[in-house]
Amino acid sequence: MGHKDVKKYILHCSIFMLVCFLCLFGYIVYLQVIAAPALAANPMNRRGDAALDIIRGTILDINGRELAKSTQPGERSYPYGEVMAPVTGYLGEAIGSDGIEAVAGSDLTGQSQQLQMLGPICQAIQSTHGNNVKLTVDADIQQLAYDALGSNRGAVVVMNAETGAIIAMVSKPTFNPTNVEDDWKSLTAREDSPLLNRAAQGLYPPGSTIKVLIADAALDEKVTDLNEKFNCSGKLQIGNEYIGESHGAVHGNNLTLKDALTESCNVTFGTLAMRMHGKGLENAFDRFGFADPINSEFNESRCHLPKFNELGDGDTAQVGIGQGETLVTPLRMAMLASAYVNHGKVMVPYLVEEVISPVGLVIRKASPSKWREVTSEKRANIIGGFMENVVTNGTGGAAAVSGVRVIGKTGTAENSQGADHGWFIGAAELPQGKIAFCIIVENSGGGGTVAAPIARQIIAALRDR
Amino acid sequence: MKSKSLLLVAVDFLIMFAGLGVIMLNQYPEIDFSPVPWALGAAVMGVAIQLFLIKGRFSSDIWVFPMVLFFSSLGIIMLARLKPILCVPQLRWLMIGMAVMVGVLYFSRQLKDMMQYQYILGICTLVVLCLSLIFGVEIGGSKNWLVFGPFSVQPSEFGKILLVLFLAAFLSDHRDMLNEAKRRILFLDLPPIRFIAPLLVIWGIAILMFVVQRDLGSALLFFCMAVFMTYMGTGSKSYVFIALLFFGVGAVISYALFSHVQVRFNIWLDPWADPAGQAYQVVQSLFAFAAGGVWGTGFTHGHPGLIPEVHTDFIFSAVAEELGLLGCTVIMMVYVLFFYRGIMIAMNCKKELHTLVAAGFSIALFTQAFIIIAGVTKFLPLTGITLPFISYGGSSMVSGFVMIGLLLSLSKKEKVHGA
Ligand SMILES: [Zn+2]
Repeated sequence: MGHKDVKKYILHCSIFMLVCFLCLFGYIVYLQVIAAPALAANPMNRRGDAALDIIRGTILDINGRELAKSTQPGERSYPYGEVMAPVTGYLGEAIGSDGIEAVAGSDLTGQSQQLQMLGPICQAIQSTHGNNVKLTVDADIQQLAYDALGSNRGAVVVMNAETGAIIAMVSKPTFNPTNVEDDWKSLTAREDSPLLNRAAQGLYPPGSTIKVLIADAALDEKVTDLNEKFNCSGKLQIGNEYIGESHGAVHGNNLTLKDALTESCNVTFGTLAMRMHGKGLENAFDRFGFADPINSEFNESRCHLPKFNELGDGDTAQVGIGQGETLVTPLRMAMLASAYVNHGKVMVPYLVEEVISPVGLVIRKASPSKWREVTSEKRANIIGGFMENVVTNGTGGAAAVSGVRVIGKTGTAENSQGADHGWFIGAAELPQGKIAFCIIVENSGGGGTVAAPIARQIIAALRDR
Repeated sequence: MKSKSLLLVAVDFLIMFAGLGVIMLNQYPEIDFSPVPWALGAAVMGVAIQLFLIKGRFSSDIWVFPMVLFFSSLGIIMLARLKPILCVPQLRWLMIGMAVMVGVLYFSRQLKDMMQYQYILGICTLVVLCLSLIFGVEIGGSKNWLVFGPFSVQPSEFGKILLVLFLAAFLSDHRDMLNEAKRRILFLDLPPIRFIAPLLVIWGIAILMFVVQRDLGSALLFFCMAVFMTYMGTGSKSYVFIALLFFGVGAVISYALFSHVQVRFNIWLDPWADPAGQAYQVVQSLFAFAAGGVWGTGFTHGHPGLIPEVHTDFIFSAVAEELGLLGCTVIMMVYVLFFYRGIMIAMNCKKELHTLVAAGFSIALFTQAFIIIAGVTKFLPLTGITLPFISYGGSSMVSGFVMIGLLLSLSKKEKVHGA
């Protein structure tokens, strides 16, 4: 034992500490490179969306009207208030953000996560003002749809069928984004869920509007053809249960598929659903994308589909008339309708038209893209023709607008929360382009009387542009 | 070679002036020039000391001091950015520290002689640590401050120095006894109890600090230092084993008995259980690391202010956010180089006592850096302690420079008389 040994032991300790230090360094590399994106996206992280010293950009509608603007860093005002709330969403230091404030948050603060991590380079391009975001939404149409819903709860979605651009997205009841942070407690406690964007997050049974999809599927699965004649006695007996017609109607015999859709015959569509069995229905809902998320600018709720292959005959028939476990969002129903004026194609819906730098340069422009081909062009024309007949000769008459081809389908959804929800989905071919829409008015009774007139107002307003 | 070390000092102060310059430009039009004279004073002093060191009258190492100045410069610009009001005091502490270091070097011969008096050192260590145990005042959650009028001192910072000196003296003197008069109990080789009694006292005090003062960081550091010193002095794995056992039992008991220990440990296990409450600081620190990424957000462009107490214990998180992984890497590399130089000084000492002292100081500062960096990154449970030479704090700055002074004086090659 001597001085040499001490040096040896010192070496042991040094190597031990160096190894510890190296492990620590490795962990920091992990933290700053691999774990960083997840930490940056953490909702608790105020560095991200609050962007504490940057003046957030303005949110504009398609015509350049201000929907949300910053008076100074951290302060935000919403000129359209409740009308635009489902679109703009809200922003609060303690409550986080939703809607466009959340989706386009990094555009509005002018910093992307990737850019931010570039440090010095980022500083060279960083300005104290965020970018402005121009939306596809038309404030006039939004206001009109909002007023048309009156005091009812419900939602309206209007979109460009050829591009996927959302023209209006209304939800009622709603909140005033300016005061949302102060009112947070009462807003979250309210039973009518004002913070829920019913257009993209409200889940409703589709009622008869789903018959459009069922007709399409029945032709696709070849369980019927255009010439078959159905017979409706007003009642479809399935074992001990039966499906009836609304208001006790009897549609008689000699019903073609077109007639059945026009009259919204439950017996025919219950029968078709049973002929297709679970597998056929599952294929149809898959084909129209109800099982998949859109991955777009919407914080949408997943539609709820039954386990088709486990359904009994009665429940299968219920799927055919849009009752039972199936729950869909208004946004998805508008997309469904859009296929019938857009050659069987559904576009990816979007809200952000342009991102504009503070000096007016367009940084990014939306490029419409096809989401999926849900049906063939030929069948889209056939079903589209049926739906046109619904408006000209059937339950959707209240949506007719002179000089415009309007197609549609009404729906009345029974639900556990009281009176039936009224639906109207459809599309219109305007000179400026084709639009698709979906209107739901909660607890209003039939869709033909309450929802369809709202569609007419919107179509007429767009026609007169 | 020698002029290159002067270049390093110049680079250190360039960093300081560049950083201060950026901050002042940001203040435009109301620029606060008050740190400038102090910074200039520190720069002049730093260059003068390096020139003095290069002459080699009291020391043979010219690299340790520029590295310390690197840490200090970085600390000062981070402080100027995080807590401008503390920038001038920190510059003042830096100058006091450098002056103390020169004093230590000047009296190095006498100090080296005093290193022999193990029992006096032992008593001093005990007194200093007990002072803070008995008269400790709570500042910032830890009851480890002594207040003398306008001054508050953290005795534990100076206790560190005494502890290293005492253990080095004790171990180099008693090593033979510690190793030869062993009895074998189970698989452990144990010396008579009177030989390890001083070590047990030190460990006991560390545990007391843990419990009474809530100063987990110092407690952990003292404990690690005692273990490292014992092993370096004796090479006995039995002592390390006993110490770890001691530590394990102490940790389990304090976890069971004391809520603040439980809180710290639970935060470490799962900070996401209460990210807005007790784990707020650590979670914000993790966000700072994430925000920094590889390149950092850039100096003055991050939001390290979101971390409470960022200017003391969490200063490394601020560096990580604004200077990124790049900045972290540089700092950690310089700590490693600093450690390497310190160990080299120890290896070149002619006397065993000096070897132990030099190695003790090096490993103490290095371990301290490790503990706090590991704490703010959640690599280990957080135990509040300063990042040597970078965090704000007069006591830690001055005691750090005392250690550097002693380390430098030990690097001086001298003729061995006896030994
Ligand atoms: Zn019928």
